[in-house]
Amino acid sequence: MSTSELNKSFHFWKQVRRKVVNWTTLRRIMSIVLFLMAWSILVQFTGHFQQIPKPLAVFHALFQLEPGVIFTEILRSFLRVLGGFLIGLLIGFPLGVAIGYSRIANYLFFPAVEMVRPIPPIAWIPLTVLFFIEIESQIVFLTFYGAFFPIVYNTMGGISEVDIRLPRAAMSFGINRMGMLWKIILPAAMPQIFTGMKVAIGITWLMVVAAEMIASKGGLGYWVWHHHTLMEYPMVILGMGIIGLCGALCSLGIDAVGNHFMKWRNIF
Amino acid sequence: MNNQTNTISKEINESDFVFEKASFFSKIFNIKTVLNTVSILSLFVIWGLLVHFGIYRFVLIPGPAEVLEWGIDWMGSKDFWIDASLSTLRVLGGFTFACLIAIPTGLMIGWNKVFSDLTFPTLEILRPIPGIAYIPLAILFFPWEEASVAFICFVGAFFPILLNTITGVRMIDRDFFRAALCLGSKPKHIFWHIVVPGALPSISTGAALGMGIAWMAVVAGEMISGKWGLGYRIWEAYTLIRYPLIVDGMIVIGLLGLCSSVIIRYITLLLIPWRKAITESLDESITK
Repeated sequence: MSTSELNKSFHFWKQVRRKVVNWTTLRRIMSIVLFLMAWSILVQFTGHFQQIPKPLAVFHALFQLEPGVIFTEILRSFLRVLGGFLIGLLIGFPLGVAIGYSRIANYLFFPAVEMVRPIPPIAWIPLTVLFFIEIESQIVFLTFYGAFFPIVYNTMGGISEVDIRLPRAAMSFGINRMGMLWKIILPAAMPQIFTGMKVAIGITWLMVVAAEMIASKGGLGYWVWHHHTLMEYPMVILGMGIIGLCGALCSLGIDAVGNHFMKWRNIF
Repeated sequence: MNNQTNTISKEINESDFVFEKASFFSKIFNIKTVLNTVSILSLFVIWGLLVHFGIYRFVLIPGPAEVLEWGIDWMGSKDFWIDASLSTLRVLGGFTFACLIAIPTGLMIGWNKVFSDLTFPTLEILRPIPGIAYIPLAILFFPWEEASVAFICFVGAFFPILLNTITGVRMIDRDFFRAALCLGSKPKHIFWHIVVPGALPSISTGAALGMGIAWMAVVAGEMISGKWGLGYRIWEAYTLIRYPLIVDGMIVIGLLGLCSSVIIRYITLLLIPWRKAITESLDESITK
């Protein structure tokens, strides 16, 4: 290896080191360490916190997990979330586009949507249990309902907030109505549509946990509740962590899809 | 050619005249109000028809007339007022605490890099856990039931407010900071005169979002561990086969949620008068 090459690789490692080992990373690690320390100290020394398990106990619980059981639970919750989310997208996205793009559709659908929207999805649980026979379809309906309104509202808002100069420019080039929708309005509204989808998947996870806690037919929410009734609190915290991880993964997935659809964002 | 233009202009004049004459009627019976009424009426009519003809399992769902009857009964009883006020108090408690903690933390995270590094990673780890997953821990931790429900509201409202506050601070134009530094302001002045007002519009968005999620959380919390409250009431109505009461409860919850978000909007309009013009034009663009 010649000296110049050595120099180059040395320079490269120096740059890497500068980006990875610096005060910011140290402080970020410190943040988590401090949190864990505060948690253990609070549990150790204050009477009120004593029932909450320590971080170490949660860590030990990680090794007591049976991989088969936990993965089936995760898969169940995932399928419910995805089912509800996709149905919400299939119905909510076209409805949002129609309300945002067509004045007649706005007059016809918006008041009805606006009247149902303030009812939180969780308040629908009793009616859903009454209406649907199968527990799976109950849970999927609830997740659908949670995903529906954020998608509709953000699609609509994104379309109505498109910079008016873009459609005008397209119009002066003689675009037709469908071309305007597909080539101008939807791409311009895309960022907010994906924001809506991210909000929707967050609410979907919330709904799936609530529904599973009440329905008690498998899934992560049920798993957490089950361990709560068994008084195995480290498992409860672990379950919360797993739910959080799944939610974060879903939201990252939507980000990835969004980046794929909005490549033009990287240009600017 | 000349003749043609003449007829066109004449037509326009005539139609103008007709329009002026019918302006009163056209104000009430224009396409917007007609379609809007159709929209709202059709919601109730479809609901009523589905229940009336008992399609699929709609036999079990109470119809509009029944709901109205039970609703009036329920409004007259003392239980209703206790339920509604207790739920509202729980939401308000959780929401107030969330505001008190999330807004200062968010302002500091958005403003100060060191503070952000020290706290944000932890919060980012905790954020994806939905508030409802905290129910078992809340039951365990708080001996007092009210506190555990309020805590779930707190968790639900906390993260929307925090994240919106952070983005609000980070969206402030850097030039404001530079101008203030040029004019010799201290960090204290920058904080109170640039960071806080600059983030206010975003905070109000976050507060409205957080309020919505707090209402969701209170219903869930009351359903799972409650003795009073609207969420408990609709679950009890389900178990006692008083089905119309479920729908009434849903409507009341929806109305209270709507009222609280309208109140938040109104308060923020008072706090940020310079923003009023922008939000008004936005509202118009959405509704038109």
